[in-house]
Amino acid sequence: MALTQDTRPTTHWAATPSSRELACWSLVGAVIFFGGWQLIAMSGLVSQYILPSPLAVLEQIYQLEAEPFAGFLLHQHLLSSLERFLLGFLLAAALGIPLGLIMGRYRLLDEIVTPLFEAYRYVAPLAWVPFAALWFGTGIGGPVMVIFTGAFAPCVVNAYRGAQLVERYLIEAAQTLGASNFRIMREVLLPGALPSIVAGLRVSAGLGWQSLIGAELIVVSSGLGYVMVQGQSNLAPDIVMSAMLVIGVVGLCIDVALRAAERWLSRRWGRV
Amino acid sequence: MGTRVSRIRFDNVSKLFPRGNGAIAALEDVSFEVEDQEFVTIVGPSGCGKTTLMRMVAGLETPTLGSVLVGDRPVRGPGSDRAVVFQQFALFPWKTVGENIAFGLKSKGVSRSKRVELISHYLKLMKLEGTEDSYPHQLSGGMQQRVAIARSYAIEPEVLLMDEPFGSLDAQTRTIMQEELIRITAANPRTVLFITHSVDEAVYLADRIIVLSRHPGRVREIIDVNAAREQDGWSARAIEDVMETPSFTHLRAQVWKLLREQMSGASE
Amino acid sequence: MRLPRQPGRGWLVGGATIAAALLLWYVLTSLTGIISSYRFPSPPEFLAALRQIAVDGYAGGTLLQQTLQSLRIVIEGFLVASLVGVPLGFLMGWSPRVEALLNPVFLLIRPIPPLAWIPLAIVWLGLGDGAKIMVIWFAAFVPSAINTFTGVRQVNPMLIEAARVHGATDWRLAKEVIAPAALPMIFTGLRLSLQASWTTLVAAELVGAFLGLGRVLSIAYRDIYPAMIAVAMVTIAIAGALMTQLLARIERMVIRWR
Repeated sequence: MALTQDTRPTTHWAATPSSRELACWSLVGAVIFFGGWQLIAMSGLVSQYILPSPLAVLEQIYQLEAEPFAGFLLHQHLLSSLERFLLGFLLAAALGIPLGLIMGRYRLLDEIVTPLFEAYRYVAPLAWVPFAALWFGTGIGGPVMVIFTGAFAPCVVNAYRGAQLVERYLIEAAQTLGASNFRIMREVLLPGALPSIVAGLRVSAGLGWQSLIGAELIVVSSGLGYVMVQGQSNLAPDIVMSAMLVIGVVGLCIDVALRAAERWLSRRWGRV
Repeated sequence: MGTRVSRIRFDNVSKLFPRGNGAIAALEDVSFEVEDQEFVTIVGPSGCGKTTLMRMVAGLETPTLGSVLVGDRPVRGPGSDRAVVFQQFALFPWKTVGENIAFGLKSKGVSRSKRVELISHYLKLMKLEGTEDSYPHQLSGGMQQRVAIARSYAIEPEVLLMDEPFGSLDAQTRTIMQEELIRITAANPRTVLFITHSVDEAVYLADRIIVLSRHPGRVREIIDVNAAREQDGWSARAIEDVMETPSFTHLRAQVWKLLREQMSGASE
Repeated sequence: MRLPRQPGRGWLVGGATIAAALLLWYVLTSLTGIISSYRFPSPPEFLAALRQIAVDGYAGGTLLQQTLQSLRIVIEGFLVASLVGVPLGFLMGWSPRVEALLNPVFLLIRPIPPLAWIPLAIVWLGLGDGAKIMVIWFAAFVPSAINTFTGVRQVNPMLIEAARVHGATDWRLAKEVIAPAALPMIFTGLRLSLQASWTTLVAAELVGAFLGLGRVLSIAYRDIYPAMIAVAMVTIAIAGALMTQLLARIERMVIRWR
């Protein structure tokens, strides 16, 4: 498996080792890393309150599901996080994609929106947390807003670029076939920009997931980020690390799912 | 012919495009008329503004001076009364063949059952049976262009505009398509404006040929082909036979001479 | 986002939009009070807060001090991360074996959002600068390593063949062909790293810091001082934008053949 799954570049300047040999190397790497980690933890060189062993981390995941921690079981925290993420992400897509498409089509709107958009883009998503907390208190609105600000930009930018990439003659063909502007947006621009949009959704999901975790470090009382903060204040790195593991796995799943959507699209419509 | 209705009319049309600090004239003082159900081909050297001319009829460009009328109404933007067949086919890659053809029909509010009927009628007409659920990228170039023609024909436009539609096809497919086009327009006559680089194509297909001068484009000459066609009975012959008749060769030479004169920069 | 065909009009419309937005801001807050100052500051309040922090200081320092503190940490973390990430990425790009060896570690680290390292960093290194630099390191390391890797792998094979034909050794190949050819992607990685560093720092400082723009943000929140929150946000945005521009300038100087 290549480091980046987007491109599968090859080294041209040397004979590429067989994939079996490479698999061995990966195995060696995994063994050294995890084995070394386990040994260091077991040896007592470093206190288990600082570096728990890999097995301890895995065991902790089981523990978090068996007994409530910080008020809920692990899967409840997970659902809480996912709920916020989906709300923020879907809102960002629902607003960002049409906006990007329209900006891509109508230059005047592009010129109007762009300065505002650029200004917003440079503000780190988490910087919105104080205002989010001020406006929404401890409700779900706060984290959702922070996730939204993180996920919004890539949706707009990629829809915009996608709309611009739609060949002009396709739009003209639709016009000469009597389509209204709305139909053009929905049946020509949107599908035409879809590959770019889906690529943008991947980036958007990644940023949204990050913003979620950040927001959950501060303004919430449930969720995976909250579990980490609680673990930190209890000086329990094993809990922190098990939450990190779950966060990583979920983030990975989301990315894999969107990647698969990208591939399916390009197969079906025959375009990249 | 003189008593037939005028379908397209150019009145002293000029088109300027801004370029840098000034402007470039693509067309200069172009005037002509196309009659109802006439098949007119437009030829001229590269850059003479043929495509611009067609786009003005389509409503995709507006004249800087003068006016373009279709059916006595000035052109105010694109619409399904003037269908366009693009050189790049312009089929929507994310729609099936059937959905592509249905696109224009939906704009006209045609009911679903009628759409299905029309789609299969035109697929049959263009010899594309069975491709209804295929995606464009699964078809050959010739088939894609036939879908594009079917799509434009299906909305039964008053005017059919074709911009070098066979330009990206190989020579054999191209010849077959030319014959097909004659067959179709004989069965369903329309007013057609057909742009081409190929002199043979221009002569073979046309009722009249408009020859444009090189940039800036003006009407150099309008050549009547119909008389020769009727006289020598082209429609009864295969294309290769037509191209050997003296009337065809004479017309072809005539057009070539005009073009050569344009290309070498001799006076207009 | 793209250059307007009539160069004048884009700026005009953009300027008009900003002016309109500012006017709207003023009207909604000061003039009519539709948005209460509890929720969002009015322009005069914003300016007052700006003046306060610039001159007297807030949450432990003046605006300049806070900004410099934040910038210092970002640059430190970013530099350490790039100095490790770029060579490592290069090595992984060069040798499929090294890539295979390190893949498992990357696979584990990559999906974890940088911010998720904050609690662990605090457990390990306390609330000081060390924790923040650690988190920034994780944020900045991955983009620079991966983009360098991709840059190396995507070098045009024709260039490599040409070099080989001219008898280049591995070392010369790497130094004179691959490194320069990969430079655009490396800079992309650096740009992403820098942005990630800045974003992460703000977050880290929000969670716990003694000094810095994030701290200003969190204290202003605690004091329920929306005008100061706004001042901090604007400063964060401007600083982020300036750093990005600076990096772009450096890139243009280094990659002169583009």
